[in-house]
Amino acid sequence: MHERLSFHIKRDSFLHRLNPLTKLALTLALILLAFTFPWYWMPHLLALAAIIPLSLLGKVFREFMLTALRLIIPAAGFLFLMQAFFQPVGADVIFQFYFLDMTSESVLFAFRNAMRIVVMVSAFTLFLLTTHPSELMSDLTRRGLPGQFSYVIISTLQILPQMQTKAQTIISAQRSRGLDTESSFLKRAGSLIPLIGPLVFGSLVEVEERAIAIEARGFTSKHAKTSLHEIPDPAFDKSLRWVLFALIIASIGLNIWLS
Amino acid sequence: MNINIKDLYFTYPTGLEALKGINLTIESGEQVAIVGQNGAGKTTLARHFNGLLKPTSGSVSIGDWETTKYSTAKLASRVGYVFQNPDEQLFSRDVRTEVSFGPKNLGYSKEKIDELVKRALSLTELNGKTETNPYDLSPAWRKMVALASIIAMDTPIIIFDEPTTGQDALNVGRIARVIAELRHEGKTVITITHDIDFCAENFDRVIALAKGQVLLDGMTKDVLGEEETLAQTYVDPPQLTRLGKALGLKDTVTTQEEFLKAIMWG
Repeated sequence: MHERLSFHIKRDSFLHRLNPLTKLALTLALILLAFTFPWYWMPHLLALAAIIPLSLLGKVFREFMLTALRLIIPAAGFLFLMQAFFQPVGADVIFQFYFLDMTSESVLFAFRNAMRIVVMVSAFTLFLLTTHPSELMSDLTRRGLPGQFSYVIISTLQILPQMQTKAQTIISAQRSRGLDTESSFLKRAGSLIPLIGPLVFGSLVEVEERAIAIEARGFTSKHAKTSLHEIPDPAFDKSLRWVLFALIIASIGLNIWLS
Repeated sequence: MNINIKDLYFTYPTGLEALKGINLTIESGEQVAIVGQNGAGKTTLARHFNGLLKPTSGSVSIGDWETTKYSTAKLASRVGYVFQNPDEQLFSRDVRTEVSFGPKNLGYSKEKIDELVKRALSLTELNGKTETNPYDLSPAWRKMVALASIIAMDTPIIIFDEPTTGQDALNVGRIARVIAELRHEGKTVITITHDIDFCAENFDRVIALAKGQVLLDGMTKDVLGEEETLAQTYVDPPQLTRLGKALGLKDTVTTQEEFLKAIMWG
């Protein structure tokens, strides 16, 4: 049995070796550039010229593309359709579906917004695939972030894969009791209660047990803490963070200046 | 109802080869313990019996049903599987409703469900707790609810995954009594366990797995006597067996009764 407690894929790559804070800064920079840079094609350029090469550089291209195909592209596609049909901009109607009009302006508007969402979710996906939650927590705590706050971040990052694994086990247990989870939609819908009950209750118990376990190891102790695992933060990382910070400021500045 | 396993290979999507050419037949009514180190393939093998896992190659048949052709929900009418952690299945507001969930899924009549639930509750000594919410019970009793919920399905084959883990002596005794009753009823009982004393006391046949292959398969006494071979899969024979060997007893002993007999009568 293989439990995945986070989205992190263990590989030896340039991206994996970066300091977690640098990767977080890179993620935020990609998102802010996509949303604030005053050039229409910026999100598209970031997706093609930054995110895809970064996934190759991080040796997680396959896993990234799987997530993109299963989650990011369908979600962005849905958003594109909604905005293209319902955004009341422009008069140049290029497509009509019953009473819904799609104008060239609404298509451009929807396309840019969908690409912004693609960049945002992709950047976070890359971050999660290449950063182990415990490394991120260690680094942020070392920099003075309160332990409680780091704990909230880590719990949030870990909760989805943990619940996914737990849900799989519960589904197996209930199928072993004759629950049909594979046939008609109605039967599958009816099988939700036996799945949700143990999942929610189990998760609540786990949260409580985890809180007790970390408290038993001095989580709220006021003493200065040492770390067995030091996260390196070389000069390259520091410089890269400054460059990213400058890019963000420049993008926001340009946006304000041109508006 | 026999279980037939032919040239079974199984590889997880991660690439881990968990089973490498298993050939076994488990006859109807046998009491079989599967032992072996962590990662030996015990749970992977048992999950093939009710179709939770399908062979990468080879076949597993339950009677005349080949598992690849039936869903787990369908195979549940032939194979009951008690999971290690009861909290991964309990969801009902009271013990009786929880125990009747399986038989209802199998489509039994109301009268039959009532009868099966009554019998399962009595066998697991849960009679006084039928209206209690399972989550108000201690973990040991929740384990018994999980056991009862599978027993009530009245399947000819029942699998217990690590039934004695985290249980005190009193509850291990209860589980042993349940297994003895199932044996009396002619059910096939298969358990995955690290508890060798429990295995020696309650099972006739032991299958030792190591690295996805069958290391030893035979009568409990014969398998547990193979101390050196068992060491390959980090299984120690029961203390009584080792003590008997150290005392120079001629035959392998696995239970107190056998030990006393050997000491007293030579």
